[in-house]
Amino acid sequence: MSAGPDLSELETLAAEHALGLLGANARAEAEARAARDPAFAALVDAWRQRLAPMLEAVEPVAPAAGVWGRIERALPANDNAAIRRRLRFWRGATAGALGLAAASLAVAVMLAARPPVTLQPPAPAPILNASLMSQADGAQPMFVAAYDPARRALIVTSLVKADSLRKPGGDAAHVHELWIIPADGKPHALGMIEPGKSKAMPMPKDMAPMFAPGSAIAVSLEPPGGSPTKTAPSGPITAMGMLDKI
Amino acid sequence: MLWAWALAQITVSRRLIVLSSDILAPLMVRIAAGDRLALRELYEATSAKLFGVCLRILSDREEAEDVLQEVYVTVWRRADRFDPARASVTTWISTIARNRAIDRLRARGPLAKADPIEDFEIADDQPDAETRLAAAGDAARLQGCLAELDPRTQAVIRTAFFEGITYEALAQRMGAPLGTVKSWIRRGLARLKGCLER
Repeated sequence: MSAGPDLSELETLAAEHALGLLGANARAEAEARAARDPAFAALVDAWRQRLAPMLEAVEPVAPAAGVWGRIERALPANDNAAIRRRLRFWRGATAGALGLAAASLAVAVMLAARPPVTLQPPAPAPILNASLMSQADGAQPMFVAAYDPARRALIVTSLVKADSLRKPGGDAAHVHELWIIPADGKPHALGMIEPGKSKAMPMPKDMAPMFAPGSAIAVSLEPPGGSPTKTAPSGPITAMGMLDKI
Repeated sequence: MLWAWALAQITVSRRLIVLSSDILAPLMVRIAAGDRLALRELYEATSAKLFGVCLRILSDREEAEDVLQEVYVTVWRRADRFDPARASVTTWISTIARNRAIDRLRARGPLAKADPIEDFEIADDQPDAETRLAAAGDAARLQGCLAELDPRTQAVIRTAFFEGITYEALAQRMGAPLGTVKSWIRRGLARLKGCLER
């Protein structure tokens, strides 16, 4: 057979990484390189696709009957997919109106069915937390947020590298804008968060009810000054997460 | 401009629907939307295949079942990342299974599966005639191209792929010098690429 041309040094590394030959350190380096170098990432991807068909030749074996039950129990009850589902739901105005009607009906039913309660001092409302996962790889939290109902403030920390949105030596090319998306799926702007910084954002009274378990907090990439529309993100969603009690 | 926000949200599902002759692809759209029944259907259709992959890599039923569970939970979480333009559903989830199983294998230690590789011990991955006929396009082509390599090179490439072990560990198991094993693999990969591009 023909020998074929040698692979370039970069492609050799990509193929070795795809094949699984690199030791832990070299593997971590290759992952990091793939994350910042699209050309290298494309080579790795191409090699993964070349080699993947090897898996098709493996003999199928039926797993034990109980495995599906274990999987079902391990599924997270609520996740980004649920938020997206709600967002899609909101898209149709009719569907939105129906949803609101259904929600208010549900509240009415709940109120009617609520048993009489003995008077107790109100427990302090719990702090809500959210880890905003990268929408590019899903595995990395890029921001963490906590809402303190007692102070009516959202504390946000950006885990993004400082200066990452800045042109070399210049001004910020983009900004990260925060949004809250309550159960109705309609986004509300909260303000900007600088890469690597942490800040407490006091919330007006009328927005406080939006900070409830199940509300999503999202960050979008926007031109300096934030989304020109002021009412919805204009750029891509960088990270998203859901508020929940600890 | 609510529509701009909405558009950002539906790009994902649109990407999933576009150009898909893959019969499993519609399931991925439903899974991405949080439909557990769709995940169950995917499990019914693919679990034997993926369990085979996990078992091939780990040689231990219990560990392979743990990994299988992780794989479907990962698919549940990441179904929206599936891109039908880049891979079939089967390839995508088999790759997740392989990566997870190899992570597990590596966690056992660098020389965990230390049986020596016989130079020509490749029988268990040689598809029989039936499998070879059934294997569609890409798989058949890759098998054909691997078969053109000398048996020793085939063996090291397959071992690396199914165990994710380092050159050092491979060399130790082959009882061959590190540099020799490197050159077998590097030459083999270059030839493989040449063959696949023919």
